[in-house]
Amino acid sequence: MMLSSINNSFEQDTHDVDANCDGPDLDFIYADVDSYQNEIAELYSYTEFSEFQMNVKAFEDQMELYDLPPNWQKQDAASQRSIVMKLVDQLEVSDRSFRMQAARCILYLAQGCWAEVQSDEEQHQNTRDNVIVLYQLGVFSSFIDLLNMEIETACSPDIVAVKITNVTLVDSTDIRVILSVLYIITETIRDEREKASEDYTQLAESFVQEINSPLPDGELLAVKLLGMITRFCSGAAPQFPMKKVVLLLWKVSLLGLGGMDVLKNLKNEYRVKVGLDPITEDTLEVTKCMRASSPPATATDILENQYPKRNFKRSLMKQRFLDEPEQIDMEMSGNEGGPNSNNGNSSTGGNNTGNGEDELSQYYRPFDDPSASTSGNNSNNISGGNGGGGTQTANPNNQPSLTQQTPAMPAMQITARLPWTPKVRQKDIDQFLDISRNKFIGYSLIGDHESLAGLPQPIHEGFKTLQRHMYVSLADMQIKKEEDIARNPISTHEDEIKLTPAEILYQAILPNLPQYMIALLKVLLAASPTSKSKTESINIMADVLPKKMPLTATQSTKLTVDMGRHKEIIVKAVSAIILLYLKHFKINHVYQFEFMSQHLVFANCIPLVLKFFNQTITEYVNTKNSIPLLDFPSCVIGEQPDLSGDSFVYGGEMSDKPYSWRNVFSCINLLRILNKLIKWKHSRVMMLVVFKSAPILKKTLKVRHAMMQLYVLKLLKMQTKYLGRQWRKSNMKTLSAIYSKVRHRLNDDWAFGNDLESRPWDFQAEECTLRACVDRFNLRRYPEATQKCGAGGGGGAGGGGGGNNGTAAQNAENAQQSNMHAGNGSGDRDSNGYGNNGSSVGGGGGGGTINSGQQHQQQQQLHDYGVEGGFPSDEILTHSDFAFFGHSGWWDRKVELTDYFKANYAVWLEEEVYNSQTDWDAL
Amino acid sequence: MKMADGSTILRRNRPGTKSKDFCRWPDEPLEEMDSTLAVQQYIQQMIKRDPSNVELILTMPEAQDEGVWKYEHLRQFCMELNGLAVRLQKQCSPSTCTQMTATDQWIFLCAAHKTPKECPAIDYTRHTLDGAACLLNSNKYFPSRVSIKESSVTKLGSVCRRVYRIFSHAYFHHRRIFDEFEAETYLCHRFTHFVTKYNLMSKENLIVPINEEENAAPGESEA
Repeated sequence: MMLSSINNSFEQDTHDVDANCDGPDLDFIYADVDSYQNEIAELYSYTEFSEFQMNVKAFEDQMELYDLPPNWQKQDAASQRSIVMKLVDQLEVSDRSFRMQAARCILYLAQGCWAEVQSDEEQHQNTRDNVIVLYQLGVFSSFIDLLNMEIETACSPDIVAVKITNVTLVDSTDIRVILSVLYIITETIRDEREKASEDYTQLAESFVQEINSPLPDGELLAVKLLGMITRFCSGAAPQFPMKKVVLLLWKVSLLGLGGMDVLKNLKNEYRVKVGLDPITEDTLEVTKCMRASSPPATATDILENQYPKRNFKRSLMKQRFLDEPEQIDMEMSGNEGGPNSNNGNSSTGGNNTGNGEDELSQYYRPFDDPSASTSGNNSNNISGGNGGGGTQTANPNNQPSLTQQTPAMPAMQITARLPWTPKVRQKDIDQFLDISRNKFIGYSLIGDHESLAGLPQPIHEGFKTLQRHMYVSLADMQIKKEEDIARNPISTHEDEIKLTPAEILYQAILPNLPQYMIALLKVLLAASPTSKSKTESINIMADVLPKKMPLTATQSTKLTVDMGRHKEIIVKAVSAIILLYLKHFKINHVYQFEFMSQHLVFANCIPLVLKFFNQTITEYVNTKNSIPLLDFPSCVIGEQPDLSGDSFVYGGEMSDKPYSWRNVFSCINLLRILNKLIKWKHSRVMMLVVFKSAPILKKTLKVRHAMMQLYVLKLLKMQTKYLGRQWRKSNMKTLSAIYSKVRHRLNDDWAFGNDLESRPWDFQAEECTLRACVDRFNLRRYPEATQKCGAGGGGGAGGGGGGNNGTAAQNAENAQQSNMHAGNGSGDRDSNGYGNNGSSVGGGGGGGTINSGQQHQQQQQLHDYGVEGGFPSDEILTHSDFAFFGHSGWWDRKVELTDYFKANYAVWLEEEVYNSQTDWDAL
Repeated sequence: MKMADGSTILRRNRPGTKSKDFCRWPDEPLEEMDSTLAVQQYIQQMIKRDPSNVELILTMPEAQDEGVWKYEHLRQFCMELNGLAVRLQKQCSPSTCTQMTATDQWIFLCAAHKTPKECPAIDYTRHTLDGAACLLNSNKYFPSRVSIKESSVTKLGSVCRRVYRIFSHAYFHHRRIFDEFEAETYLCHRFTHFVTKYNLMSKENLIVPINEEENAAPGESEA
């Protein structure tokens, strides 16, 4: 039934049409951050323009107070230090305006004394120099004190709660000054560290140490900022300038945890530590050499692109025609990209040019196993275009070999080999062996991964190939270790937990992790271009809206651009934060990752991201929500633009890039988050299916960027087998793209698999088993924090901080928490539902009876979910809209007992209530 | 520390030591101090010998780590400032001095709390000294007294800034107590020299006048 509804909603490869006219690939290169200049400019909204003058005024007043000329650059180093010291002193004065004058003055210094310079470079140089002085003299910690004070005043009861919609820029004036200074210092140090500037080395090290250790009040800076977001989302502090908060949080986390390079090194370091080989393939590097495809990624398409003036219509017709034999072949052979399917394709393609056939066979050439010759190499060979089957260039180092392109055909970049080494999991090998043994010897050897006795030669070969491609992930090892510890809690030795930055962060956010995730997603939702701002319980626009609404058309155009830009920046920062945390937790310990991702899933992250992509994505990628002339520092340096004219607003169109860096960045981040959440989780793949993600994702393929497409294709690949034959039939091009771009899993029948382990029951079990493992991990490693977390949940999200105003989202939070803690919804058991689990886990860990305890617990949770309607498959399937934060979310539904349950409730009562033993003393 | 005759000198104030015998043990050259607290011992020894000789006390022995030197001095200042705080308690109460001020211009916030707030002067004094003691003894920032992390050295500046306000409050509001205390210990004088020498505070913020000619002269001649 599930599949039939999808079959009805199939769509054709309609976007072929504009594939050819979409223009060249985006030259976007994915990185941790945009350029330093852009990252700084994005800190300010255009409506904050007038405040720059306040900073220079504060500086002038302050210098007058000191009887000095208002010129920073004329002061010698000693005098500069002395001035900063005096300013810092002034930051501890109780008179607010006087204090803020000093703060603004420091902001002016951090901004690089722009009033005294002629060029952006000078300004940057000044910022660089000043940040050293500022940081050395303790400005950063002083500003954190100031931030504490602002948070405190925001939450004191004597401030009458302002209506959310009435909050404007003015309400956050002071706190924005403080956050700006913190941000500039952080970002400048991050940038200089990246560039390995010598004068910054020592300073950067101590700064990283500082942000990775708790503040004097015991809180981590990142946690403080997450707390601000949570508070903001609860409605208690609507004036918090969210954009600056998330930007600062992002940069603090990025600097504290480390970016992509650090991640890569850490991953390999951890892998080596547990006895695995380091990874040589780097997604970034490989995708850089990949060519973006707007399906069809066939050679004909490429040739068309080479001669764009050629008969466009003819090619279209040809492609349609081309489709059919291919489909038939595919169906008949039932074998992805088998040699048969090439024939139809290449013979037709041969009409086009003489060497078309060669290229096609090259394109479809079966993967040439690199590990057969040199094992462990990655296989991103790109051979020069005209090579036939035999002219493949040897590339022993497997460097991305763009240089090998023959100059004669520069546009040809056909991946001659598959870009990725295929992988296979131990589980798959076992399955393969099991099937073969059953077939040939007639019985199975459970737990034997190797013995081939009695199996025919071809199976031996197959087994060897599989073995050669076996990939053991870090997560596998960590899970195994956890299992060992659970089985033999006393004899198994766990190494001392190293306090890595990620570990510190995890321990710090563990008690409130669900709330933080919800808050982050709420902000993300509010900033999504598809969200309707009216229905939101939070107003993220507070820090862009000026007190006086614009009067002229120009001004309102400007404001519209500003608001769009504001939202984009928030999406960029939040998506980057979530991805960064997921990635770091994943390598630090997979269950930390699973804990976070499960909470993201519970908070409806998957539909949220899908909804984000349910827009004209090419438009989003190309949006020009920026006015370069108004970006800092150009808005204050040099000749001032005529702010009354119309011209400056449209200045942005002349920008050199045909896409918006931050939007592509956010898109990729969100896709990667989705991939991280869903990979290997059947239940979540089904969410992709039931939310009808396929058409949305296919639209996303229109963006011509290889890396972005890769992540979309991965998402499509996961669900292909559930989409039905009809869908596959009409989307062969997409399937081809998947085949050629996404890593192959040997034995994985992703496209045509009929082993639909699709009973919804199983999915719930899967999620519950995972939950149980994560809980056991948390309870074992962080007993205190978990207890706190559990207590909060048992009480029913009451501790969410002040503003429990009964919005839908809040309900979702409540329901979600009780759901997660396996209360079955019938009031009296709700309170001890968690305790039950807790005790059985704890008891198991101590007494070595984990198996029975765990099984029992799983059963119970399963039951609870079933009763509560954890994932009501039939409901969601008929759901056309997205379940959003409690808007018809699956957890805040009224309890409806199934007929089966009603008929057999006595059995349930007997098993789960009367026979379940609770050790009340252990609670 | 074995002496020539084999008897051991314990450089400690045992219970029952008379006040005139307090800390009365023979000086020991720095090189022979065989403990992790050598720098502190050396500084205390110098102070005991002649508290007015500020210059000499602040002269760093050769081959001494500057971070440790600054740290140990600041520790010593905070310890001795407790003496001033005790004296101030007699006169300075939350009812008389409701705010932490020096000259009337500025009221300072007490930074010892999670959120800085206005405390009465005497509370500011206590809180700040407590906070400074906590920080300087914290395992996190100052795990060792032999070498100091670069990142922690920056913390010293803020301690100085906050602690100095105790001097200035005493000077402007409890002049008699300040003068008595200063005459005995030369603490403010030494502190001023210290922060100027190591550039920990801005000169303009050092608002307590110290009599340079009187005190500096002997220091110069002996140094």
